[in-house]
Amino acid sequence: MKHVVTALALGTLFVGAPAFADAEVGKPAPSFTVKDESGKEHSLAQYKGRVVVLEWTNPECPFVQRHYKSDTMVTTLKGFDAKKVVWLAVDSTAHNTPEKSAAWKKEEGFPYPVLQDASGTLGKSYGAKTTPHMYVIDEKGVVRYAGAIDDDPRGKNAKPSNHVKTAVDAVIGGQTVPASTTTPYGCTVKYKT
Amino acid sequence: MTHRQSKRLGRVGGIGLLLLAAVAWADLPASAVATSAPDQGKPRVEGALLVDVTQVKPGDTFRAGVRFRLDPGWHIYWKNPGDSGLETEVAWDTPGSTVGPLKWPFPDTFRTSDGFITTYGYDDVAILVADVKASEGATAGALTLSAAVEALVCEVHCIPAELMLTRSIPVGPETLRDAETAAVFDAEVAKVPRPLADSGHTVSVALDAPNLTAGQAFTGALTLTGPGGAAVPAVEGDFFIAERIPGVANLGLTAEGPGRFKVKGKAEPDVQATAPRLTGVLRLGTAATGYQYLEVTAPLAPMVAAVGAAGTPAVVKPPSVKDSIAAVKPVGTAAVAAPAQESSVGLGLALVFAFFGGALLNLMPCVFPVLALKAYGFTRMVQQEQGRVAAHAGAYAGGIIATMLLLAGGVLAVRAGGASVGWGFQFQEPLFVAGVCAVLVAFALNLFGVFNVGLDGTALAGKVDQSHGLMHSAGEGVLAVVLATPCSAPLLGTAVGFAFAAGPATVLAVFTALGLGLALPFCLLVLVPGLAKKLPKPGAWMERFKQVLGFALLATTVWLVWVMGGLAGVDGMARLLAFLVAVGLVTWLYGQGQAQDGVRKLATVAVAAGVLVASGLLTLRFEEQGPSAVARTGSTMALAQPWDDAAVQTALAAGQPVFIDFTADWCLTCKFNERTVLSTDEVRDAFIQHRVAFFVADWTRRDARITAKLAEHGRAGVPMYLVLSPGAPDKPEVLSELLTTGLVSDAVKRAAECAPSKLGGSNVLCAAGFPSH
Repeated sequence: MKHVVTALALGTLFVGAPAFADAEVGKPAPSFTVKDESGKEHSLAQYKGRVVVLEWTNPECPFVQRHYKSDTMVTTLKGFDAKKVVWLAVDSTAHNTPEKSAAWKKEEGFPYPVLQDASGTLGKSYGAKTTPHMYVIDEKGVVRYAGAIDDDPRGKNAKPSNHVKTAVDAVIGGQTVPASTTTPYGCTVKYKT
Repeated sequence: MTHRQSKRLGRVGGIGLLLLAAVAWADLPASAVATSAPDQGKPRVEGALLVDVTQVKPGDTFRAGVRFRLDPGWHIYWKNPGDSGLETEVAWDTPGSTVGPLKWPFPDTFRTSDGFITTYGYDDVAILVADVKASEGATAGALTLSAAVEALVCEVHCIPAELMLTRSIPVGPETLRDAETAAVFDAEVAKVPRPLADSGHTVSVALDAPNLTAGQAFTGALTLTGPGGAAVPAVEGDFFIAERIPGVANLGLTAEGPGRFKVKGKAEPDVQATAPRLTGVLRLGTAATGYQYLEVTAPLAPMVAAVGAAGTPAVVKPPSVKDSIAAVKPVGTAAVAAPAQESSVGLGLALVFAFFGGALLNLMPCVFPVLALKAYGFTRMVQQEQGRVAAHAGAYAGGIIATMLLLAGGVLAVRAGGASVGWGFQFQEPLFVAGVCAVLVAFALNLFGVFNVGLDGTALAGKVDQSHGLMHSAGEGVLAVVLATPCSAPLLGTAVGFAFAAGPATVLAVFTALGLGLALPFCLLVLVPGLAKKLPKPGAWMERFKQVLGFALLATTVWLVWVMGGLAGVDGMARLLAFLVAVGLVTWLYGQGQAQDGVRKLATVAVAAGVLVASGLLTLRFEEQGPSAVARTGSTMALAQPWDDAAVQTALAAGQPVFIDFTADWCLTCKFNERTVLSTDEVRDAFIQHRVAFFVADWTRRDARITAKLAEHGRAGVPMYLVLSPGAPDKPEVLSELLTTGLVSDAVKRAAECAPSKLGGSNVLCAAGFPSH
C-alpha cells in the first residue's frame, strides 16, 4: 500500500527533480552549524573571509576510496594557502558515526574535520547528490563552484584536471571560475530514508 | 511482452528472465561470459557477449550485444546516469570488423525513497546491442570480437564492475543467423528510441522567454505531432528522460494533453556559446496500449549571462562609505589605471568642456524649475536699472559657484578619506534627498504666497515680494546646482571625470568653470545690452505664472520622492512625505508669524522651528535598502540583468556582445535614454538578433564597484554606456551620453561582427569598428 501511495505521490505525469533548495552558484551558500567527528562545532559563518571547500564523502564508496588511495584531496588542499582556504569534509551517510569518521581519518591521515550529517540536513540543504560532491564557497559566503572534484570519473586519466583547484585559485585570484558547475560523479549519497 | 513491462505489472521473477533463460546459448563460449562487482564474495553482475549469427560472410552486417544480468535490487546506468552513478561503457576491440554505436533501450528511472536522488538505468536483464560490419577482407577463418565493459553496479552502495568478454565468429561463404538470439535482440532494440526523422513525428518547442538566463529557471511548451499530423497517444509515469545537456539542469516534461507538454528546466550558471538543445528520450503510450519510443531533439534558446555567474553576486547591502574605503583605492591620479581616451584631456580642454557642459545643463529638465523662476525674477527686474539686474545675476552666479566649490570641497574631503565618489553622489544619501525636497517644498509654498523670504516681515502673503533680495538670487543659484547634478550632460562627464582624478587645484578650477557655464544664460542677459529688454513685460500674469512654477517645483519633489523609494524603500518614502507635510506646516506657521510682531512673532517662529526639528528627528531615519527590484520599463529592460563584471566576462567568453547601461534612478538623462531609446523595439530586436548580453549597473545607491568602473573610463557619473565585443574584450566602446536607437543598434552590430573568427566573426571589422583606445 505504501508503494502505491508513493507512486501516486510521485505522480504519474511528474518528471524532474523534486524541488529542494540547493546550493546555487552565485548565490549565498546555505548556512550551517554542524559538529565534526571530535564533537567540535563548525559553522559557515565562522569561516567568513576565507574560501571554504566542502567535500561530501563516504569512506565506503569506491570513488571516495580511489581518491583517498591517490591522496587527491590532501594534495589539492596542500596546493592552497592554509590561511586563505578551509577544507571541510561532510559525511551525510545515514549509518555513519563520529567513531567511524575518526577511525577513517586516523587511517588515512588527512588533517581536515569530517562534519557529521547522518540526519542528511546539511547534505540536502546543499543538494549534495554524490560522493565525492564538491562545493567552493568564497570569502563572502557565496557559492562559486559546485560539482565533481575532477574530470576523471573512471580514474583512468594520467593527468586529470582538478576542478576544485581551478575554482579555488580563480576565487583567490579574483578571477571568474571557468566552469562553475560540472556534473558530479560517484556513488549516491546514502541519505537517511 | 518484454520483461520490463512484466516487471511493471508487478510479477516477481520477470518473464524476461525466463525468456532469456529459455534461450539455450549452448554454444556460448566461456570467454564470452564474465561476472564482476564482487560484493561480500558474491558477484552482483554477469555479463555475456552475444551475437545473432553463427557464421558471417565478409562484408555482411550482424549484431552483437552485451547482456547484463543483475542480482535483484541492483542496477547499472544509462548513458545519462542522472544525479549520480556512471555511464555504462563498452570498449570494443574488433579486428576485421567495425562496430557501430551502442543502442540504448529506454531506461528505467530509479529514485531514492525520499525522492531526493534520481538515476536512470537498467535492472534485472538488459542488453546493449550494436551493429557490426565484417570487413570485405575478413577471410582468415574467424573474426574476433572483444568487449571491455565498465559498469557501476549499485543497490544502495555501488561496486565498479569490469568485464572482459571475447568470442570469435567463423567466417564463411554465407551469413547464418541465430534466430533465437536475433529474436532477443529484436525485443531489446524495439525499446531503443527512434529519431523523429525515422518515425515521422514533428516536434516544436516554444519557450516563454527569448533567452535562457544563466542560473535561472525557464518554462515553455513542447508540441509533438504524429506522422501526417496524427494524434499522439497519452503517456504514463517517467515518460521523458533528458540526456545531459550542456548548460541546462533538471530538464523535465509534464504532460498536459496528447502531444502537449510543459517544459521546465534550469539554466546552469555558466553561459554556453551555442544555444542548448532539448535532447532526450520519450516513451509514448501506456502499459495497456504498448509503448513507442522516440528520440527528441529541438533547439531551446540562446543563453544569456546573469548576475553572479561564477562571480560576485549582487551586493546584498550597499557598502557603507567605510566599506568602500576598504574596497576601493581612492580615485587618485594613480587609480585611473586604464583610462579611456577622453581622460587624456589636458586641463585647458577640461575647463572648456566643463564650461560648455555647465551651459548645456541649462537645457536639462532638472534645472528647468529654477531657470523658470530665475527668468520670472528677471522679467520683473529688467524694468529696473541695469545695475540691479547685474547684481542679481552676480548673486545667482555666486550662489552657483559657491555651491560648486562646496561640492568640490566635498569631493576632496571624501577623497581624502579614501572613498571614491562620483558626480551626483550626493543623491545616494537619503538625508540629502530629504533636504532638497524640503527646500523645494518650502520654495513652492513661498511661490504660492504662504510666506515670504527675506527680512521684509510686514509683507502680506500673496503680495509681490518687491525686494527679491540678493540672498534669494544666491539661493536660486544653490538650488540650480543641486538640481542640476543628476543631469550629467554630455561633455560634463568627461570634465568632471578628469577633475575627480586630478589634484585639488584642478578640482576647484573645473568646478568653477562648470558653475560659470551654468550661470551663463543669466550672465549673458546682463552682459549683452538689450537682450534683457527682449523679455516679456511684467504684469498681472506674472503672479499666476509664479504660482504655476510652484507646481513645477512640487512635481520635481515627486521625482525625488521616487528616488528616495529607490534608496530607502516604501518606508523611506512615507517618512519623507511625513517630513514634507511638517515642512509645509512650518512654512505656514512662519508665514503666520510674519504677519504678527514682537513676542508673538518670535513665539510663532520658535514653534515653527520646534516643529521642524521635532519632525525631522522623528521622520528622517532612513534605512538603506538592498537593491530593490525596480520595475524596469520597456521590453528591452526586461532582458536586462544586474551588472557584474564576472558575468560580463562569461558572456564575452561565450561570444556574446555586451551592452552595459550605467544608470541611477535620480539620473534623468539615464531614465530618458532608457525610455526613449533602450526600450524601443528596434533596440530590443538588435539585442536579440546579435545575442547581446544586456547589463544594467544601477548606481542609485553607493556602489564602489560601479564608481571604480566609471573612473576606469574617465567618467565620474552616470549615464555611461559601454559596448564590449567578444572579439576585442579589452577595447570597450563608450557611447555618447545622449543615445539614439541607430547609435545603439550600430554599436552592438559592430560588436557582434567583431567576434573572434572561431565564432564566425571576422577580425577585419574589429579594427574598423572599434577605435583602439
